[in-house]
Amino acid sequence: MEERTVNKKLFNLLSLLVLASMMLAACGGQATEAPATEAPATEAPATEAPTEAPTAAPTPEPTPIPDVPIATFDGTSLSVPAEECNGDYAGLIQSVVATDANTVTFTLCRPDPAFLSKIAFNVYGIYPSEWIEATAGDGIRTSEGLEHPIGTGPYMVSEWKRGESVTLSANPEYWGEAPYAETLVFRWSTESAARMLELQAGTVDAIDNVGPEDFETVKNDATLQLKERPALNVFYIGITNTVAPFDNVKVRQAIAQGIDRQRIVDTFYPPGSEVASHFTPCAIPNGCVGDAWYEFNADAAKALLAEAGYPDGFAMKLYYRDVVRGYLPQVSNVAQDIQAQLKENLNIDAEIVVMESGAFIEASTSGSLTDGIYLLGWGADYPHITNFLDYHFGAANPQFGTQSDTYTDLLVEGAQIGIPTEAESIYVEINNAIREYVPMIPVAHGGSGVAYRADVTNPQASPLGTELFYVSDPGGRDTFVWMQNAEPISLFCADESDGESLRVCEQVVESLYTYEINGSDAIPALAESCTPNEDLTVWTCALRKGVKFHDGSDFDAADVVATFNMGLNIGSPFHVGNTNLWEYFDYLWGLMKKPGG
Amino acid sequence: MTQDNKVAALDAEGLTLKSVSLWQVTWRRLFRRRSAMVGLGILGALILIAFAAPLLAPYDPIRSMLDVDGYPREFAKRRAAPCIHIMGDCPDEQPQHIMGLDGNVRDAFSRLLYGTRISLFIGFSTVTFAIVIGTVLGAVSGYFGGWLDNVIMRFMDVLLAFPSLLLAIAIVTVLGPGLTNALLAIGIVSIPSYARVVRSSVLSVREMDYVSATRALGGSNFDILFRRILPNALTPLIVQGTLGIASAILDAAALSFLGLGAQPPLPEWGKMLADERNQVFTAPHLVFYPGFAIMLTVLAFNLLGDGLRDALDPRLAHNT
Repeated sequence: MEERTVNKKLFNLLSLLVLASMMLAACGGQATEAPATEAPATEAPATEAPTEAPTAAPTPEPTPIPDVPIATFDGTSLSVPAEECNGDYAGLIQSVVATDANTVTFTLCRPDPAFLSKIAFNVYGIYPSEWIEATAGDGIRTSEGLEHPIGTGPYMVSEWKRGESVTLSANPEYWGEAPYAETLVFRWSTESAARMLELQAGTVDAIDNVGPEDFETVKNDATLQLKERPALNVFYIGITNTVAPFDNVKVRQAIAQGIDRQRIVDTFYPPGSEVASHFTPCAIPNGCVGDAWYEFNADAAKALLAEAGYPDGFAMKLYYRDVVRGYLPQVSNVAQDIQAQLKENLNIDAEIVVMESGAFIEASTSGSLTDGIYLLGWGADYPHITNFLDYHFGAANPQFGTQSDTYTDLLVEGAQIGIPTEAESIYVEINNAIREYVPMIPVAHGGSGVAYRADVTNPQASPLGTELFYVSDPGGRDTFVWMQNAEPISLFCADESDGESLRVCEQVVESLYTYEINGSDAIPALAESCTPNEDLTVWTCALRKGVKFHDGSDFDAADVVATFNMGLNIGSPFHVGNTNLWEYFDYLWGLMKKPGG
Repeated sequence: MTQDNKVAALDAEGLTLKSVSLWQVTWRRLFRRRSAMVGLGILGALILIAFAAPLLAPYDPIRSMLDVDGYPREFAKRRAAPCIHIMGDCPDEQPQHIMGLDGNVRDAFSRLLYGTRISLFIGFSTVTFAIVIGTVLGAVSGYFGGWLDNVIMRFMDVLLAFPSLLLAIAIVTVLGPGLTNALLAIGIVSIPSYARVVRSSVLSVREMDYVSATRALGGSNFDILFRRILPNALTPLIVQGTLGIASAILDAAALSFLGLGAQPPLPEWGKMLADERNQVFTAPHLVFYPGFAIMLTVLAFNLLGDGLRDALDPRLAHNT
């Protein structure tokens, strides 16, 4: 008996030990694995820079000091002290004031010639002030806020079946033209072949991003029609220039000349696409002034690389996310072609790394993909050169590493000039400086196509990706079914940055201005007009009267101020959204804050 | 009369049975099974292709036709249909591609041939890995029994409780995508089945008289386990291993299809399938051939495995 209990104890002890060692082994394995995957930055210099390997001394992480809110809001007026405009406040808006029930005045710190184009962006859609108060707060934003936006648009969200579809129903009290279809359904599929099949089967009325191989099929099918979307976007190869070998401008220039971009566009892009001569598409004023991008020249590229100290090439990574966008319709093929070209022309071994979309965006835009290059692009939010250049090459943007002051200062200067012809000489200089510094390699402006059933009237393919379906009649049917690439992430329209989410928002909430159908000019929507003062710093908007929100409340100037308070004022209890980054409020206007400490 | 003379006499009368080893019997039985021979034939062809890929392949499997010097540019179209001159379906000046070009303007046929190497390598290496570890675990567990048996087999049960592909995906997610990690994951996932098989045969073999005899003669544990028991417990392992190669190849193809296995530009069949899955209707040849190749390889191993199982089954001994 005695012996048996001892045995049992021994057994228990031993099994415990074994279990513990297994857990230890498992955890140990993870711990050693983690740095390799999560912090390639620290490893990169040692493995990839043959000449010198700077051993980065571990610097202690500085404790972040929270930003300080500087705005005051009293229901009809949102403002920051005027003197902050010349101080630490980097934002553009000094105040938003409801002068009377139907007039809102925006006062800016600096002149902004692109004001109308920006204000028409759907992220600045107006919410009822009561709704903002009811669904938001210091706590967690309610699902009502994330899934049932309330606006003034032609459609209202009636049901979102997660993973399946979003159903919208017509707004009976819409102030504009009544929607043709009673019901609007959003569906999605990541595979272009699957979208095409649904369209051919007649289960959907329109599909976004027709696969390049299907353009001919759609054109030859009498029951379908194709609407080509103008290429108001850019696909570029980003280079973060903080670590060797990419800190050497000659290496970047070598890669720029060593890739045959014409071949990529010819082989992988649908009709209507073009090789990027500049970062900004030529359709945008001043977009492509200055010298065109480098011609493909493998020999010159090889010589440059040798000059930089890498005659035999080097090894690096090639990052991308497997997500179809108008600027990059064939991601994986293009990545493999670039990989092949780098090997062929420059003897650079590029290891392809596919990342999850969110993680990729975060890593690339924060400039942490230092051990290689990455494939990313940009579609215009509003048709102005600042939307392309200032966002990417502004001094504060870390996504390409260190920006060069040969263009950062000029960008600030150029953004304040209202008439494009007057700013031309500045943009010539900027474009040339970017070409010289090579923070990235612009590759293509990708055309894309939207296919509709032949009986759909007024087919749309907005250059900004902002199709408004209420003006299209789906052949007399009650329901218009639209199929896009992906499910919306959430519908908190003021705090979304994903195009698939914003396209749903577009139908539901409206901004003061909007973009014309199939075009990019800003036209009045909730405002009847917005007029600037002489130096473009004060914009006075006369609001449309008699407009009602989906919840029955009246639209007035206080709603406009409350919406901007929610988006801009970091001190507001309602400054709680989906991601809480308020990316577009921050990037186009600048949040009302100044650095703490 | 001495012993030798007796044997000689029997020999003269043709009465001695020539001693026949297990392997000779097995081979003989296997040879009679047509399906197994088909499997063996396909496998032989695949192995030949794998070794001779550089000789058989007309182009570099990872080189775009756009990079091939002197290749007529007007024919370097992505996803071009197969062009076989004998069939007369394309102009003579167009270079021949019997399986067409893929989405990156590479020769699909060359990629398919090189893919044989990768798939066979995946099959053999993962199964070898799993057999080595599974055999050691199963043998130790079956031979020593007691708490050690309990711990090892419960751990194996835990591994078996997960769907194998799901577990492989989990492992690859932790280790990071790539062919090596995928191989490791598939290897780990297939350990339990081998451990179980070995354990059960060790359990039955260790009770045999000759094992007791060895123990009585003072044989060490190691000696008994690895020189007396294991060789006699091998047969089910061979069957399991052959069938296991088939499922390992399938699993690897699935992982690659999900983007967790082979990374571009490696011509792995599962990856080739995944890359072109959108083109089922526009370029069916790019989806058909890799899929067919996977099917053929898996079929070969399955047929051979089934044949081996029958051939090695002692209950069917009277059939010889």
